[in-house]
Amino acid sequence: MGRLIAIRVLQAVPVILIVSVLAFLLMSLLPGDPAVVIAGDQASPEAIEKVRRGLGLDRPFLEQIGLWFLQLAQGNFGASLMLNQSVVSAMGERLPVTLSLAGLSLAITLPVGIFAGSIAAYYRQTWIDSVVMVVALLGVSIPAFWIAILAVILFSVMLGWLPSSGFVPLAQDPLGWFRSLVMPAAMLSLFQIGFLARMTRSAMLDVLSQDFIRTARSKGLSEWSTVGKHAFRNALIMVITAMGILISTAIGGSVVIEQVFALPGIGRLVVQGILARDYPLVQGVMLIYGFAFVAINLMVDVLYTVADPRVRYD
Amino acid sequence: MVMVKRRDVSRGALALGALGLLPGGSGVARAQPKKGGTLGYATVSGLGTLDPHVSSSAVELEVIHNVFEGLVALDSQNATKPMLAAKATGSADSKTYTFELRRGVKFHDGTELTSADVTASMERYQRVSPNARNLSDVERYETPDPYTFVMHLRTANVVLLDVLKSPIFPFMILPASQKDKPAREVDIIGTGPFSLGEWVKDSHLVIKRFDGYLPDTSSSGRDGYAGRKTVYLDSARYRFVPEATTRIAALQTGEVQLASTIPAELRQRIEERKDLAIREVFPVGGTYIIVNSQYGLTANVLIRQAIGAAIDISEITDAVGGVNKPNPWMSFPGTPYDLGKSAPTPWYDIKDPARAKDLLKQAGYRNEKIIIETNGNYVWMRTTMLVVAEQLKRAGMNVEVKVVDWTTNASHMQQGTGEWNLSTTLFGPDHILGPQQWRPMIYAFPGIKGNAALDAAYQEFFSEPDLERRRASWLKIQQQVLGNAYMIKIADSGRLSGYSRKLRGQSDYAGILQLWDLYLE
Repeated sequence: MGRLIAIRVLQAVPVILIVSVLAFLLMSLLPGDPAVVIAGDQASPEAIEKVRRGLGLDRPFLEQIGLWFLQLAQGNFGASLMLNQSVVSAMGERLPVTLSLAGLSLAITLPVGIFAGSIAAYYRQTWIDSVVMVVALLGVSIPAFWIAILAVILFSVMLGWLPSSGFVPLAQDPLGWFRSLVMPAAMLSLFQIGFLARMTRSAMLDVLSQDFIRTARSKGLSEWSTVGKHAFRNALIMVITAMGILISTAIGGSVVIEQVFALPGIGRLVVQGILARDYPLVQGVMLIYGFAFVAINLMVDVLYTVADPRVRYD
Repeated sequence: MVMVKRRDVSRGALALGALGLLPGGSGVARAQPKKGGTLGYATVSGLGTLDPHVSSSAVELEVIHNVFEGLVALDSQNATKPMLAAKATGSADSKTYTFELRRGVKFHDGTELTSADVTASMERYQRVSPNARNLSDVERYETPDPYTFVMHLRTANVVLLDVLKSPIFPFMILPASQKDKPAREVDIIGTGPFSLGEWVKDSHLVIKRFDGYLPDTSSSGRDGYAGRKTVYLDSARYRFVPEATTRIAALQTGEVQLASTIPAELRQRIEERKDLAIREVFPVGGTYIIVNSQYGLTANVLIRQAIGAAIDISEITDAVGGVNKPNPWMSFPGTPYDLGKSAPTPWYDIKDPARAKDLLKQAGYRNEKIIIETNGNYVWMRTTMLVVAEQLKRAGMNVEVKVVDWTTNASHMQQGTGEWNLSTTLFGPDHILGPQQWRPMIYAFPGIKGNAALDAAYQEFFSEPDLERRRASWLKIQQQVLGNAYMIKIADSGRLSGYSRKLRGQSDYAGILQLWDLYLE
């Protein structure tokens, strides 16, 4: 296991390097000027030039990228131009929101998606299967921002059950935290539930047609034991693969959800950073996301070995 | 000598006169104002900074103007009124300005305001503000005593007080301890009626009533950004909600009592509720087509004028919707620099494709491409330019529309970079103050270079102490800018906000959000 982790970490180094170069290049290729955003729409060209000099944006491109890597080597992800604080600190302030949202979303997605997919597979080619698959298809097809707005109108305005927007920290008020996140998390999980249900159904169908399932049934094992224990355990590999993708989409999808529900998370931070051409902020966030996705993939690899002892990486 | 005193209503040469469309700062009739409560306000986005010296963003200024104060401020008629100063006096040669400070004014940290704080603030402004060039003629500051502040200028500046009252990049007074703080790093300590409470970036910001606030008792009531400010609210909570539907939902559920920037197409959702209402804030800016005089075809004045001749304003305003009123001038009606009903240019809203074709022929136009650049962030800008494109096609022009993001679009306009002939933007609200605020935008956006008549008109404007003569200079400036179609005026525009009828005491003054004198029933 230790060797697996070491190999994966080593493999991550070039990935992170490529991500960091791409992050720098992509932001640099974007037209627009952060100095204009910072100086204001109505600032004079001289004032904009002064801001640009102050930010070091007048330096040659190679010098800028050199400084960026020098900072990274020292563990410094840079400082946001618009927020006047370090990227790590800006992310640190917003991370609990995005993690809460993604975590609660996964907590909704996993049981619902797996159950729906398993049921659809068990009752394949029946009306239950059709209903589950149609709902799953809707889940992956409906734009998140549209369904989220409808949810606000229904649950906040018409029924008055939940707040329309905003975030309450867990430490401040656990119930308020839950109430502020349950609707955004549910909206975020719609796509994921659809995706996971379809993946689970496919995996379960594959397993349920295997010889060992037939053997289990002929031995007189109960349906619950056959499906719930033997079939599901074998379908789990695909579910674990899907989980890695789900975590990534939860973080990516949070950009839209945070915008609609006014949640102060990393998704909103990135959107603002891109609009303001806040190069260090977006580069830093992309790099940290790069680390996070490498870590997620590593976690998935490790989980494979737990779920299926036959899996070896040596 | 010019003098602006607390009770002075004539204001001499410095007065900017009445903004006729506005009923004034006294606001709607108040029943019995009630003290207490927290106002929930849903605004469009979070703040980057509360450093007043570097701020030009509306969402930031909506907080800043409630927390900080300057020496002078705009009153409800958009004239200059002392705020932290008891009196502001200009010398006859307009080279020395003396400010007598109000006594007993406290900062939020409990220290008393003195002339040393004013000097430190002005020096800091000169060091950090993108608007610092407005103080570039300052020779020195003088503080003969703790309550007197004197500005000595190298050259005469007849409009200095008009500049100092600007609500954008405001000249707010900070404690002297903040003098050396870099841009965007000041402690948020002002003399305003509210002090900063909690600020969670991208989530919310709370300001609390400052109980040590010393109101201007020489005024009978609120007066624009100045006057006697009475605070009834315990606090105000700004919630940053970018999605308009969610802002409206927060208003409908009672989570907030005030919501900014309501799209015209959604106003009915508010108006259909008896407990909610829409407020039209007008005017907040003017919309313009910017013509790049430094790029390709539009360097030719005949081509620019042909574009101007082809424009049909009502087609644009109908398509855009919202609060828009046609006005050929660069000043709002009723302001001192508004020069009447006739247009300063023969091209405004003549919607004459035949005339445009004639001008194109004179210019030797051979179906070359005219590039329109707009953005996807502001729907009204994109809609405007799509309509303009069709109008130009009707006049026989070959048009290409490019859609970029607002940051790119704004950078191109402000710096004259990129490949584009036409774009659009909204200027406001500070240019309502006068030609002095207009100047940097007039030159930068369309890239005006080498227009001797325009340069001369501006020189004349800044050296002329008489308001009538300055108005004459302003006419010449507009004739150059609009007549040569460097910019094509579309309309004056406003915005909509939604509010709960429980929120009382709002004024009709079209300024940046002011929370004093508001109360909750």
